[in-house]
Amino acid sequence: MLVAGFCGGLFWDATPAAISLGALGGGALGLTLWLFWDDWRASLLIDWLRRLQNAPDTPPPSRLSGVWRMTAERLLRLLRQQRQQEKRFSRRLDDIRDALHASPNGVIMLNGAGRIRWLNHSACRHFGLDETRDIAQTVTHLLRDPVFIAYYARRDFSRGITVDSPLATPGRPLRLTVRIYPYGKKSLLILSQDATAIERNEIMRRDFVANVSHELRTPLTVLSGFIETLQTLPIDEDERRDCLARMARHAGRMQNLIGDLLALSRLEASPPPDSGEWTPVRTLFSACAAEARALSAVAAKVSGAAQPHEIVFPSEAELDAEIAGSADELQSAFINLISNAVRYTPLGGRIEIRWTPTLEGGAAFVVQDSGPGIAPEHIPRLTERFYRVDSGRSSESGGTGLGLSIVKHALQRHDARLEIDSAPGAGARFAAIFPAKRIRPI
Amino acid sequence: MSEKHLSSQFDSDLNSVSSQLMEMGGLVETQIQRAMQALAIFSVTLADEVIQVEDRVDGMEVAIDRALTSTVARRQPAARDLRLLLAVSKITTNLERAGDEAQKIARKVKSIVENGEARDMPIGDLRLSADLASSLVRRSLDAFARLDVAAAISIVKEDDLIDREFKGFTRKLITYMVEDPRTISESLDLLFIAKAVERIGDHAKNIAEYVIYITWGMDVRHRPLAEVEAALRENQADDGPS
Repeated sequence: MLVAGFCGGLFWDATPAAISLGALGGGALGLTLWLFWDDWRASLLIDWLRRLQNAPDTPPPSRLSGVWRMTAERLLRLLRQQRQQEKRFSRRLDDIRDALHASPNGVIMLNGAGRIRWLNHSACRHFGLDETRDIAQTVTHLLRDPVFIAYYARRDFSRGITVDSPLATPGRPLRLTVRIYPYGKKSLLILSQDATAIERNEIMRRDFVANVSHELRTPLTVLSGFIETLQTLPIDEDERRDCLARMARHAGRMQNLIGDLLALSRLEASPPPDSGEWTPVRTLFSACAAEARALSAVAAKVSGAAQPHEIVFPSEAELDAEIAGSADELQSAFINLISNAVRYTPLGGRIEIRWTPTLEGGAAFVVQDSGPGIAPEHIPRLTERFYRVDSGRSSESGGTGLGLSIVKHALQRHDARLEIDSAPGAGARFAAIFPAKRIRPI
Repeated sequence: MSEKHLSSQFDSDLNSVSSQLMEMGGLVETQIQRAMQALAIFSVTLADEVIQVEDRVDGMEVAIDRALTSTVARRQPAARDLRLLLAVSKITTNLERAGDEAQKIARKVKSIVENGEARDMPIGDLRLSADLASSLVRRSLDAFARLDVAAAISIVKEDDLIDREFKGFTRKLITYMVEDPRTISESLDLLFIAKAVERIGDHAKNIAEYVIYITWGMDVRHRPLAEVEAALRENQADDGPS
């Protein structure tokens, strides 16, 4: 630039003063030009930055040069780094959020004013909330159960509460255990858990104890009645024998019940049966056949009917397989199924026991009877303990109400399942279905 | 209730009134639910619980009214705030009455149990509309909390369903009474219960109407539903006045 000034000075005049003046003037002009050029480049940069906001991948303009270009490149690199970091953070945040959504427990985060900051899917399901619309709502406006409001207001969160979900109806109960945990600065975390199943189990346990007591008390009352009779009344030999026979029957009933209870608790408590022990199906069936005929004969004798049941077993040739598992447990499951059929089928009826391969490569033990059948509403509950379709008939025929529970448990331990198929008047079909891995041919 | 005021104290006043109302709502909701359960299983203990809660509900009504009076006197609210406070006052009344109806149901259940049971009567139909009514109350309070006009309108619609169920149930009871005059006293008890259920549905509907009133400033009581729905569509088109 000084050179430009100097040249300008040359043209102007020749005196040294004039030359220096010219150089100065030229320098000023050059400086101004340079300033304009620099300013133009700066404005290019600003323009580019502005465009960068909308389109993050715009390269710096090619006209940009020198220190400005270096600045632009440095800026671009910085921005890219930042964007990557942001992406990483938001991915991590999404990940945490998805994990919280996947949780079966409801999570609601509240700010210090008791407004909802965030909530997960389960919380929506538990309380009937909306994931987006209910953000920033005051929580007690939506969770209005008086028990919850009192708990929330008391600010003593050392223990949880159990409330009905707002969505619960008599037909579809939904009980929730809810607990609040304070965190951070005055924020609160509400955790909810579906307690319907736990509560149902609790009720079942109570019912079970009540049922056992009831089942034991009935024969016991009869027994003590007879004992009193024997102690106080003068009775003759015939009557005495009759009394004792009845007492023996009731004592037998109690014994059966306790035997079944012990069998059940053994099934529940013992480790799963060894799957390396193989039992030929033939052995199981011959024991079943003997038991079935004996049961039917007894039934015929008691009622004085002329003929017992017609019981059909498969031929030995069909039974060419082995089952892996405990022979005793399988035996008791099969005999329970057969004795049920004998008990509920009228004398002279037909009971057919089959062993058939299944499509999945396993096999099924099937008991088909020609009895009165079971109404559909009873079928899902048949394996419940002490559940009886007709309570009078079952106990008078010697049932304890635990047979099918034992069957179900024993089968479960052998990876097998029980299928019940029946309709009123059409007989019943009970099938124990074993998976392929439990069956092998001989 | 999320719009900001210059005075944040006013905001917190409004919020506290709403909270009180919702608390009362929760109480009445459980009262209704208990009454329905008591009806479903004929339980005297549940019925007694319903009757006991009544005093608390009455107490809350008085407290809310007092809070409303003082807020109106001190803040002299206008527009939407005024509408909110007016609506809260009306909703309180409706809630209290719905609670009364629940109590009536509980008393009737008790008297049915004490006079020997109405097992052979068509209770199942009644339970259906009872469930519907209690869910309407819950949803109307949800609609208030969220100021959700669409939900409010669907509640107004569904109340018609309860009214129709009630008419059908009445006819059914009449056939029972005609066939066997011995069932008259039980039928009358059930009729009272059905009427109470129907009234609870009406109160839920009123609450829903006040929700529409707060957000739009439009009184939709006694107006045909089609008109309200048309207005809803219009409002959705231009984002709604408030």
